[in-house]
Amino acid sequence: MSAAEFGQIAINAILLSGILALVALGFSLVWGIMNIVNLAHGAFVVLGAYTTYFLHELAGIDPFLSIPISMLVLFILGFGIQRTLINQIVRAPLLATFLLTFGLEILIVNLVNYFFKADLRSVTTSYTGTGIGVGSFRIPYIRLAALGLALLLVLLTAWFLRSTRYGRAIRATGMDVDAARLTGVKVGTIYALTYAIGASLAGAAGALLSMIVPFDPNVGGGYTERAFVICVLGGLGDLRNVVLGALVYAFVDVFVGSRLPALSQAFTFGALVLLLVLRPQGLAGKKSYA
Amino acid sequence: MPEREVTTRRLIFFGLSLVALAGLLFLPRVRSEYQLLTYTRFLILALMAQGWNLIGGFTGFAAFGNVGFFGIGAYTTGLLMISRWQIPFFPALACGAVLAGMVAVLIGLPVLRLKGHYFAIATLGVAEAFREIADTWDSVTQGSTGIDLPVRSEGDFFYYSALVLVILAIGATALLARSKIGYAWVAVREDQEAARMLGINTTAVKVIAFALSAVLAAMAGGLTAYQNIHVTPSDFFKLPYTLEMIIATVIGGVGTIFGPVIGAGVYTLLSNYVWGRFIELHPTVLGALIVFFVIFLPRGLMPLVGEMIRIARGQKQFRWRSLLSNVRAHRVT
Repeated sequence: MSAAEFGQIAINAILLSGILALVALGFSLVWGIMNIVNLAHGAFVVLGAYTTYFLHELAGIDPFLSIPISMLVLFILGFGIQRTLINQIVRAPLLATFLLTFGLEILIVNLVNYFFKADLRSVTTSYTGTGIGVGSFRIPYIRLAALGLALLLVLLTAWFLRSTRYGRAIRATGMDVDAARLTGVKVGTIYALTYAIGASLAGAAGALLSMIVPFDPNVGGGYTERAFVICVLGGLGDLRNVVLGALVYAFVDVFVGSRLPALSQAFTFGALVLLLVLRPQGLAGKKSYA
Repeated sequence: MPEREVTTRRLIFFGLSLVALAGLLFLPRVRSEYQLLTYTRFLILALMAQGWNLIGGFTGFAAFGNVGFFGIGAYTTGLLMISRWQIPFFPALACGAVLAGMVAVLIGLPVLRLKGHYFAIATLGVAEAFREIADTWDSVTQGSTGIDLPVRSEGDFFYYSALVLVILAIGATALLARSKIGYAWVAVREDQEAARMLGINTTAVKVIAFALSAVLAAMAGGLTAYQNIHVTPSDFFKLPYTLEMIIATVIGGVGTIFGPVIGAGVYTLLSNYVWGRFIELHPTVLGALIVFFVIFLPRGLMPLVGEMIRIARGQKQFRWRSLLSNVRAHRVT
């Protein structure tokens, strides 16, 4: 591998890692606070992509400007789902929430398939495909903007959790449900809020992804898996760990993908199982959350 | 409860089982070839679900990769049958089952150290990795083109083979559930640390459950392979098989002996009905069904049947609220 080739691969990996961090961010929040592995997360990403796509196609709204709208739509959906369904059994053993979100995933993906068909779509704007060249390297504008926005949203979410009233209530609930309730936190609402934020972040990720890679209703499962791997790599307990996890994942993915594309899943999961067995709290995570 | 009542109940249960068995035995005489296919599918699903129940139900480890063993069973059976030695079906099936069991031991030793979500996703990934290996290992599996098995078109053969295997699986589950290892599984499910403190070799116990569930899944896979004739990675290593076995077990009753079979029957009935009516929305109905069962009947139909019997005999009053008992126990407001 030449130095130039290596440089381009490294740039691609860094650009990819921002968006992957955003995909994993909401997943990590929901998992860390409520101990729910939200298998419907990928479906939310897909819904975000479709919202952006239709706003762009039908109303002509620039995909970057429609990100807040996608987030709002997913926020409302997520709030409703947690409030009416998941809250009913959130204290049941793990298989219950696992299966429940899986059922939701199947349901959402199938409905999207039914209404919008399984055609591969993508959002194409006037600036798609343009970029800046640094030396012999190429950096597409959209990917660069996506990286910046993703990092911004990671920091914003971390700030929200640390410094606002609702954010502190969310963290308190994650630490001890009963103690939080005793101090007057409405746990049901806070859970719904947490899930809604997770879903809206998935929506933002989907909006960005719709400009970068073509999508169809069935790509969601892959994003759920990636979110999981990234959370495990980075470790739960601090949202900023997803950036580290995403960076590691992106490098492994881009390098293995450029050498052994057919076995990338086998390789990724082999490494994941190894890591889980050796270091269950992730690379940077705190032990108590694992 | 008095000794006599227990004996009567046993007799009733025994009688009912005999009637059901007789009905199943004579089914091929009265059903068309096509309908028989549906019943065979039900039995194969029951077999897989019975296997998943051992690791997912009794031992409480949510395995999401059992389709990997299904595929291993299918490929081993198929490859041995079309190999130079042209091994007959049943020995080939047995080899597939044994191989799947051994692979499960090797995979299980590291993976079963994981808990909860980590275990679930790791098994999901392992099954996905199996598919990729089957896809790329051209010299053995012929990659994505797949392999063709000898043709055998008598529906009766597959139906009765599946029936025998299901009965054996139920018998084995019943025996194991009442043996030392069955209790050890439940102990691990309820509290792994406490089980270890009691001197249970938790690793061995878990690995045995995982391997047995792999054996049953592999048998189901081998049977399906012979019936379908053509085996490809995408058809045999696909997630819906894992889902079906989990859903069937959850519908019937997780950690019960007859639950998986009953669940498989109910699921096949529902699935056929939905396929017939709204083919495109089949997964939506499936998803809604999962949501419904997880929220309202997480312990499945078996406990519900028991409840109904008690209500019918006047030992208990019917209350709508009892349907909400799960929600009331686990909700937050």
